[in-house]
Amino acid sequence: MSAALTIEDLRVAFATEEGELRAVDGVSLAVARGRTLGLVGESGSGKSVTALAAMGLLPAGARVSGRVLLDGEDVLGAPAERLRALRGAAIAMVFQDPLSALHPLLRVGAQVAEAVRAHAAVSRAAARARSLELLELVGIPEPARRLDAYPHELSGGQRQRALIAIALANEPHVLIADEPTTALDVTVQAQILALLARLRDELGMAMVLISHDLGVVAGAADEIAVVYAGRVVERAPAGELLAAPQHPYTWGLLTSTPRIDAPRGAELVPIPGRPPSLVHPPPGCRFEPRCAYARPAHRRLDPPLEPLAGAEAHEVACLLPEAARGELWRRLAQGASPAEARAAVPLAEDAP
Amino acid sequence: MTPLLEAEQLVKEFPLTRGVLLTRRVGVVRAVDGVSLALAEGEALGLVGETGCGKTTLAHLLLQLLEPTSGTIRYRGEDVTGARGARLRALRRERQVVFQDPMASLNPRRTVGAIVAEPFAIHGLLPERSRRRGRVGELLEQVGLDSAEANRYPHELSGGQRQRVGIARAIALGPRLLVADEPVSALDVSIQAQILALLRRLQRELGLALLLITHDLAVVRHLCERVAVMERGTLVEVAPADELFAAPRHPYTRELLAAVPRLPRPQSPPSPSSPSPSST
Repeated sequence: MSAALTIEDLRVAFATEEGELRAVDGVSLAVARGRTLGLVGESGSGKSVTALAAMGLLPAGARVSGRVLLDGEDVLGAPAERLRALRGAAIAMVFQDPLSALHPLLRVGAQVAEAVRAHAAVSRAAARARSLELLELVGIPEPARRLDAYPHELSGGQRQRALIAIALANEPHVLIADEPTTALDVTVQAQILALLARLRDELGMAMVLISHDLGVVAGAADEIAVVYAGRVVERAPAGELLAAPQHPYTWGLLTSTPRIDAPRGAELVPIPGRPPSLVHPPPGCRFEPRCAYARPAHRRLDPPLEPLAGAEAHEVACLLPEAARGELWRRLAQGASPAEARAAVPLAEDAP
Repeated sequence: MTPLLEAEQLVKEFPLTRGVLLTRRVGVVRAVDGVSLALAEGEALGLVGETGCGKTTLAHLLLQLLEPTSGTIRYRGEDVTGARGARLRALRRERQVVFQDPMASLNPRRTVGAIVAEPFAIHGLLPERSRRRGRVGELLEQVGLDSAEANRYPHELSGGQRQRVGIARAIALGPRLLVADEPVSALDVSIQAQILALLRRLQRELGLALLLITHDLAVVRHLCERVAVMERGTLVEVAPADELFAAPRHPYTRELLAAVPRLPRPQSPPSPSSPSPSST
């Protein structure tokens, strides 16, 4: 099945006082209709900049290369007018903070209707009727009354539902949700994630779910891409990525996340250090300075994202031999510390 | 044994007003509605609940940053409700707080060293400059920072380092209770784990009681021995963590637990050297 959204070798750089900051440095992704791709990474990893590039919303100073294909059409070079036509109609986005994304002085119904009328020449009455339908679709209780409410009169979850209604006004093929539940309480988060999954299926959308929370993505995505320092370092079907992760950074994310099903006293394994500068990234593997298993050669060699032997759908950018990675994760999953795992698995001194 | 801190039937009401210039009182909101809770010396207690449930107001009452409308607060068995002046200052030394957003709670114009030394100045302790510097260095090292960071400003630090500075300031006067209000929710996961490890280490090394306020049940599971669940101003369930997570009793606790996104258990991939996991 052909992808609704394809990103090929996307690079985005910003000029800063210290030099060129490469926020996204060669990211390739694809999502088909009816599927959800989870994009996981820490602040500054480039996941939101990737989303903004797909929306054609990068600031004017950004240097961009690569291709972003929406149903086969490249949007990176598209003129502003064409982009305006595509945004909302072909691709739409839901942001983290619904209070700052909604206009505080306009009624919710007017804001949904505005989105409807941005792409369809319909009467005010028709736009209002469509807005009512949309609020119903996203499960806002008493939608007819809520049309005339102001954003502050809605709860956080209802506001996020209203934003989703705005995003869906013109039935986009691709929906990007950037940390859509981060500002919400956990019970509301569960409702919004369920809503997004239902809408994806009903409307046949391709969805990109961006989150720093592996737990959120684990339950909601078909495929997960782990982003680190502007690159995808691992990509696999969700179950596979969580059961048999290949990249030491993915291991670090998994072992540093507190688990509700772990006993108290279970140790978390923090990832030491912090992400590298994107102005002067490490010359070799970008994770090398924080990696417990790096060999001296990894300081020079920059690993490409490559499929595992016999598993096309699982790609990883790591210089460790595949057999050694399997052994290391097996020990980490059994509770070994990185130092113990490393001591138990021979890593040839001369190995790249 | 006498609890370190004890709250009995705490109530906090806030007036509801209408109008801008001629404000009139139209009612009250009970943010905290009859809460009784005891915290033992050295105990880690998690206070969980959703936005607006009153958990932060309760913490402010326990820290005596707010006066309760009614109810009693006892510290080491002594009724300290309504304490003022020197007595309240002395009590403050014993109970310190770490906030969610270290950027907002650290003065951007002061160096890290000055920020960490501030509690000493406020409480008129350790007046000599030379000794003060040494003590600040020790505190920074205790929270995993280099003592050389004393000369830097908050904006020069990462989020995790800033939270460490906030923690160093909080433990400066040797408190018996640390209240941490969402201490890691603004941090990335890998950094979050570092700060959680630090809180756990300090709690053990210093024998601190810890009141952890958070919406994140996994963080509570990791750090706390006992959990109090708050809903609409009241505690609906208080139980040892093992019990609460294994068999929650209150429907609201069950609802909260069911909503937490779960990571599948890590599995060991089949290894070529040991094809059957049962053979190991």
